[in-house]
Amino acid sequence: MTHADSGAGAFVVATYGLSKRYRGETALAGVDLRVPEGAVYVLVGANGAGKSTTFKVLMNLERPDSGTAQVLGLDTARRGAEVRAQVGYVPEHHGHGYGWMTCGRLLQHVAVYYPAWEPTYAEHLSRAFGLRLDKKVGTLSKGESRRLQLVLALAHRPRVLLLDEPTDGLDPVVRNRTLALLAEHLADTPTTVLVSTHHLHEVESLADHVGVLRDGRLVAQLPCDELQRTVRRYRVEVPERWEAPPELQAAGLRRSHAGRELQWTLVGEEREVTERLARSGAHVREVTSLGLEDAALAFLPEELSP
Amino acid sequence: MLVSLNPRDARPLYLQIVDEVRRAIVLGTLRPEDPLPSVRELASQLVVNPRTVSQAYQELERDGVIYVKRGQGTFVSPNVQPDDRERRALSREVALRALRDARRNGLGVDELVKSIREVAAEEESAEPASAAKQGDRE
Repeated sequence: MTHADSGAGAFVVATYGLSKRYRGETALAGVDLRVPEGAVYVLVGANGAGKSTTFKVLMNLERPDSGTAQVLGLDTARRGAEVRAQVGYVPEHHGHGYGWMTCGRLLQHVAVYYPAWEPTYAEHLSRAFGLRLDKKVGTLSKGESRRLQLVLALAHRPRVLLLDEPTDGLDPVVRNRTLALLAEHLADTPTTVLVSTHHLHEVESLADHVGVLRDGRLVAQLPCDELQRTVRRYRVEVPERWEAPPELQAAGLRRSHAGRELQWTLVGEEREVTERLARSGAHVREVTSLGLEDAALAFLPEELSP
Repeated sequence: MLVSLNPRDARPLYLQIVDEVRRAIVLGTLRPEDPLPSVRELASQLVVNPRTVSQAYQELERDGVIYVKRGQGTFVSPNVQPDDRERRALSREVALRALRDARRNGLGVDELVKSIREVAAEEESAEPASAAKQGDRE
């Protein structure tokens, strides 16, 4: 595998201090995204957290107010066309704008733009997705439209896949088949994937990196195994009028009280956190590791979690 | 080979695959020289990142549980037997899960062990009935 073309190091997708406001509303605030080569990076966050805006900036469909973005070492604002040629993109919205074409005709139409387009692979994917090529694009259901977008994104085996809520509108059976096809695709083709979702569990088995967007800020960004190792739930018994030491307050995510028992999700190596808790007079009763989704959700405000 | 993963499990996915392969060997459903699915096949079947499968296979290869025949695929090592060590590792894993559950419920080790023996003895004495029940299910 080759590294990114320029000084971007091993990051295939990188943003630097990306900020964007829409009519006074913050969409992105200083986002520094780092997607390593070959990663399947899942960007998770509630609706409106800034996921789609990030994708649009990467595709140069949207200009940031400040900050820059690079894909494969190319500045997306100045070399947008080159970037798009090497990217497979599934946009947030389902529309194609070619309603009068049949799916088969649209595939031929798009194929022309990509020298690396593989007609046999496009056929294979269409069949695997159960897409009828003689159907008019304008008559597709939401789910069919999504599948067509996925065929268009994958069939030229791009080096980068930017998938904005790719499983949105798919029923569970099709979703599973889609992810299985994606797994096969990754086994056959070296690809870096940035995928957004507000349901991490839908794509978590493919993920190896996670970024958490909250109100336009990237509040966490790390490999999945590190996330699961460093975010744990501690059940502690605390003395009367116990106050958490400041360094633990800073590492604290979610917290709930029941009598003298405290349940607290904390970031840090378990041994260090346990020692700190013990030193502060708290008695650690139990430490629980969290599943990937729970660990990531801990970074989001509680009222937004399902 | 049947591998099933549990996304709620806090163990990393690659470790779950490693454990499933080891379990299959202990149970005898995977025997020496049996082929394993390719990385691509297993990734697709489990819907996981192919890298996760590779990582699991690398660990199993390092431990001498499986080996790669160039161009032919991955196989269970000829000298792998469901030996005491593997059985013990599996048993410890089950014990750890039970122990964690017990602690969460405020139970001590002695209480847990005692209850396991009691329940096992009860099951044994009621075996004909439960065997019939299992037969019905199949």
